[in-house]
Amino acid sequence: MDEYSPKIICFKCNFGWGYLDDKKEINAVMKSTVPVTCSGKVDSTHILTALKEGADGVLVLGCSQGECHFQDGNYQTGKKILLIKKVLTSFGIEPERVRMVFSVDPDGIKVPLEIEEMRNEISSLGPINIGKCAMAS
Amino acid sequence: MVVKPKVAIYWLGGCGGCDEAIVDLNEAILHVANAVEIVLWPVAMDFKYSSIEKMNDNEITLSIIHGNVRNSEHAEMANLLRRKSQLVLSFGACANYGGTPALANFRSKSDIFNWVYRDSPTVVNPKGVFPQTISETNGKTLTLPEFYEHVYALNQVIDVDYYLPGCPPPPDLIVNAVSAVLSGKLPPKGTTLSPHMAMCDACERNKTKPFKLEIKEVKRIHEVDMDNETCFLAKGVICMGPATRSGCGNTCVSTNTPCRGCFGPVSHACDSGAKFLSAIASLLQADSDDQVEQVVDTVVDPAGYFYRFTQAASILHKFDENTNRRCP
Repeated sequence: MDEYSPKIICFKCNFGWGYLDDKKEINAVMKSTVPVTCSGKVDSTHILTALKEGADGVLVLGCSQGECHFQDGNYQTGKKILLIKKVLTSFGIEPERVRMVFSVDPDGIKVPLEIEEMRNEISSLGPINIGKCAMAS
Repeated sequence: MVVKPKVAIYWLGGCGGCDEAIVDLNEAILHVANAVEIVLWPVAMDFKYSSIEKMNDNEITLSIIHGNVRNSEHAEMANLLRRKSQLVLSFGACANYGGTPALANFRSKSDIFNWVYRDSPTVVNPKGVFPQTISETNGKTLTLPEFYEHVYALNQVIDVDYYLPGCPPPPDLIVNAVSAVLSGKLPPKGTTLSPHMAMCDACERNKTKPFKLEIKEVKRIHEVDMDNETCFLAKGVICMGPATRSGCGNTCVSTNTPCRGCFGPVSHACDSGAKFLSAIASLLQADSDDQVEQVVDTVVDPAGYFYRFTQAASILHKFDENTNRRCP
């Protein structure tokens, strides 16, 4: 049996992450990466739907604080992520499965590294179990 | 003799408040009662389930079903009424989205049983007796419905034709819904029979909403000096109005209670809890970056608050064909 490797869906802000890179190349390497115009565009329903549809983790890559092209989209989504982590805990889902990184990487070199780092860190959690209850004894 | 359309009204896992709302139609219910033949309404009249079983399929014109599906008896009756009815109206928050009883989905069945029958301080149960679906007593076999692992919304168990939200639905919407069925002027199947816009659009307090809403600390209603005009969110009190469908008649907000979200999501939104999460997140404001977490922490029990009425219909817990979250 193949070794378990968590499925990560990555929402990546196009202004801060990999805008100089060859889109075709980067998309071929990272098939589960969703480019967005601003990380502020990532809604809580997108994150929850990704988890529901089989993602073991969701990674949101936003610009550094104070450097959002649209004023404060990254800040807004950062707050969403904090709240989603609390909601996921009540649903019995580990909050580590959702992560946001604030940085800038024009070449996109760090994108696969960030995905890999998250994959390694949540692999010990195992596959996501949506039906599990938070307080299950 | 004129054959009147047959109507069944039935409760599943609910408090009975929806039945109360039907009774609250007052004189209007007499017109309805004259126009239809009520074949089942356990809370108000005496009927036998066997008489429903003997009816032909589709013989009942309309079944009004409220309450969620928590046990096998609920599922059995929901399926029976679906088979015998031309139309099924999912009535009230519990039937539509699970309602407050669906907050139990945050706990497991064993957790609930252990608390109710063993661990609660008021329980004395030295023999550790737990309810069983089948038990033998004096040579007789006794049966109880099976308590499911999960609370289901009605449409996760049977096919539903129309939805009427609310906890409970208000009289004007009930009359409109029943009149639409009796007159045959029905909207497309699957329609929620209430206005489409959000609660904030129908709220008088909206006028007092500042141009830029900012919440630096979320407050509970008893912690603020609330008047009859100011927007709750402007005072830092969580109000589900931005993500909740209107049509309730503003009964809560007009009595100084913020919207709890019993009307569920607006049309085209699938998860009012998640949508409200996004809305409230954008309103939270910290003075500095390192205080963001502190401000977010002032939201007490976000899952319980955002999904107070809609847990069973949430993105994470709702039934779909790709999961095994199917009612047994």
